[in-house]
Amino acid sequence: MIRSRAAGFYAALVLAFLHLPLLILIAFSFNANRFTVWTGFSLQWYRAAIEDSQLVESLINSVIIALAAAGLSTIIGTLAAWGMWRRRAPWLSGALYLSLVTPEIVTGIALLALFQGAFRFLRLPLGMHTVILAHVAFSIAYVTIVVSGRLRQYDRSLEEAAMDLGANEWRAFLKVTLPSIAPAVAAAGLLALVVSFDDYVITSMVAGVDSETLPMVIYAMARRGVSPVVNAVSSMIVVLFGVLILISQRLQEK
Amino acid sequence: MRRRYFLLTAASALTACASKTRPRLNVYNWSAYIDPAQIGRFEKERGVRVRYGVYESNEEMLARVLTGNSGWDIVFPTHSRLEPMARNGLIVELDHRKISLLSNLDERFQKPAWDPGLRWGVPYMWNGTGIAWNKAQVAEPQSWDTLWDPKLRGRLTMLDDVEDAIGVCLLKLGLSFHSTDEHELQAAKQEAFRQKQLLRAYINAEVRDQLVAGDVLAAQLWSTTTAQAMHASPVTPVAFTYPPQGFPLYCDCGVILRESRRAGLAHEFLNFLLVPEVAAANARAGDTATACGPARALLPNDPVMYPPEEIYRHGFWPHALPSAAQRYRDRIWTEIKSS
Amino acid sequence: MRRWFLLPARLTAWLLIVAPMAVIAVYSLLTRGDYGGVEQPWTFESFTRLADPLYLGILWRSVWISAAATAICALTGFPLALYIARAGKWKNLLLQLVLLPFWTSFLVRTYAWLFILRDTGLVNTVLTGLHLIRTPLPLLYNDGAVLLGLVYSFLPFFILPVYATLERMDPALVEAAADLGATPGAVLRRIVLPLAAPGIAAGCVLVFVPCLGAYLTPDLLGGGKTVMLGNLVQNQFTTARDWPFGAAISLALLALSTGLLLVTRHAGEQL
Repeated sequence: MIRSRAAGFYAALVLAFLHLPLLILIAFSFNANRFTVWTGFSLQWYRAAIEDSQLVESLINSVIIALAAAGLSTIIGTLAAWGMWRRRAPWLSGALYLSLVTPEIVTGIALLALFQGAFRFLRLPLGMHTVILAHVAFSIAYVTIVVSGRLRQYDRSLEEAAMDLGANEWRAFLKVTLPSIAPAVAAAGLLALVVSFDDYVITSMVAGVDSETLPMVIYAMARRGVSPVVNAVSSMIVVLFGVLILISQRLQEK
Repeated sequence: MRRRYFLLTAASALTACASKTRPRLNVYNWSAYIDPAQIGRFEKERGVRVRYGVYESNEEMLARVLTGNSGWDIVFPTHSRLEPMARNGLIVELDHRKISLLSNLDERFQKPAWDPGLRWGVPYMWNGTGIAWNKAQVAEPQSWDTLWDPKLRGRLTMLDDVEDAIGVCLLKLGLSFHSTDEHELQAAKQEAFRQKQLLRAYINAEVRDQLVAGDVLAAQLWSTTTAQAMHASPVTPVAFTYPPQGFPLYCDCGVILRESRRAGLAHEFLNFLLVPEVAAANARAGDTATACGPARALLPNDPVMYPPEEIYRHGFWPHALPSAAQRYRDRIWTEIKSS
Repeated sequence: MRRWFLLPARLTAWLLIVAPMAVIAVYSLLTRGDYGGVEQPWTFESFTRLADPLYLGILWRSVWISAAATAICALTGFPLALYIARAGKWKNLLLQLVLLPFWTSFLVRTYAWLFILRDTGLVNTVLTGLHLIRTPLPLLYNDGAVLLGLVYSFLPFFILPVYATLERMDPALVEAAADLGATPGAVLRRIVLPLAAPGIAAGCVLVFVPCLGAYLTPDLLGGGKTVMLGNLVQNQFTTARDWPFGAAISLALLALSTGLLLVTRHAGEQL
């Protein structure tokens, strides 16, 4: 039942559902007309996207922020999940849940107020660092939830056996538990990466003058009236990631 | 990993401070509102660097500027926000000696209703709200009633904006756009409820695609957005009308924030924007209407973007409402949208 | 030792989650400034305003739509998560494929949905071309479109936690059960689902809770005609410039979802 053909067909269907808008937006990135009415083939939007230095800069910012924030939050979140698995930490659980429940605009305004207040004393402006901190703040909950779910079915006795054999808690975690839950940690990290890369509301509130991210530029361009330049950018990102995925798959198979 | 990153940022921050050879100006503007080449021209002519950021709504910009520590030097609020910003001490009074080209402003903007002495902001680009309609399937609108036409059921849209939407309901009833009377506002609300039965959606600039594709036959829309649709529409004939009942006009003005430490350079930039070739290039790049008079001569005469006097005189420039009235309207807007 | 594991998270949580929420709580007790921001006097007015049937109606609608979206995500996402978990060497590729669309801007993908669903868009053009319909179907600007948009945005948030729990499921268990004569349905009910339960619970939380705060999807795909809690809060902090009220709604939302969580889970369970 689990590996039958029907299951495969269903999986393909859901994946198609997820990718359909992607195909549409790639198709219209080649449209000669500004609007979603096909008038002919054209590469003008790609040219415009590459020449737009603001777009390129914001993309680089986004990548740096996403990698830093996802890296930090994966580490912090995994450690927290493990800590909470051993013994309950209701205050921490509550705080993480709080970050999930709060609408993004509220988090954004609150963090802005906090950063402005705190930095008034330290004389530091808003910038990449504040964006990274904000992203870490809201991604930890995602990481913790995903890793906790995995840990709940993990056999505690494995760790205890390791400790009986002389390892301390940290080594037991590092050498026994972590390798076992690694795929879940990787999945959590991936989720944190995606969430950070695509975040707009919170980022726009706490970003400084020099830390414009790709979503900020795209939203500003798009809400004023869609320009296919955003389609071109998105298509290039998709192709890039698609290639990376294929490469990682080949490397894994080796 | 944290430590390495911190060291990296500290190092780069230090080097950035050290290499501060060219002064830098931070300009925050609406997206697609300038010709990037002109920024480069300003940078070269003055030997400075310009950081150009974009936003998509006044509120977003205000939320960041309100803190008084946003890092921006120049922003472009819509005219109705100028007075409150000045009252809150957010902007600097303009020094006319540093903006010699103010005389280049179109005569309509020399003594604007919202700022007769041009003390706070330099008018930049302007537009108005009217009706965009499909020439092939709709008769020319004579008034705002077209947006309540039962024949256009399901093919009408209104702007997703509390000021424009409620204001037009008031105008349709022959009342004042700025009404604060509760009965009048309730009547406007009833009009909106009636309209909602026929309405496709509350939608802003995104409706251009559907106008051009023929899905939407009549929409409350801004003149510049409609002009953009008309210029690039492949098949569908899109037209624009300012109803003679009255229509709101909006002007985005360049202001200098009080927190700016480069007010002199900021004045120079605002002056630069009034050079006719520069203003014309900006208007052309963004496909919008400029407030600079001589620039109009360098641009094609578009009656949608630059309505003739007999139409223009029916327009008005909305001003900010008192706080309590604004609250009342916001509540009505929530009621309308969630009905 | 455990304390050190929790320290970074605790520090981050206190500084970047609890402290900002304290700011929000303070905001909710103040009065709105004329152009955004807050000012004195202190008042409970923002909370008393919440009791209005208008806002309760919005709340009810948001809960209803979010619950529906969660249910649909669970029903459609679970089989896919199961399939990926059992896919052997294709696991990573499939997982990446699930996430690939999400590297592009959410706004841009939502605009793509506008094209797919509108009257002259993809679906209607195809159906009309196949002579299955004569007038275009109204697929856009209604609750259904909003639901579709929400499911689309949050599906990976359900799939990933479930995948994480199922990934290590021992195939021997399933084979043993099958050998002993269990039907596929029984295998699913007795073995797979209980194992996946923590992942499913996590997935539901990760979908339902952010759904309540979603604002772009109801705005763009609902045509601004449906107001959900997310829209209400967004409105308070932007056009309405009523930060205290927005803060109050946010706190009420927190109280509500915490209450729901406590009711549906055992009292002592963690996140």
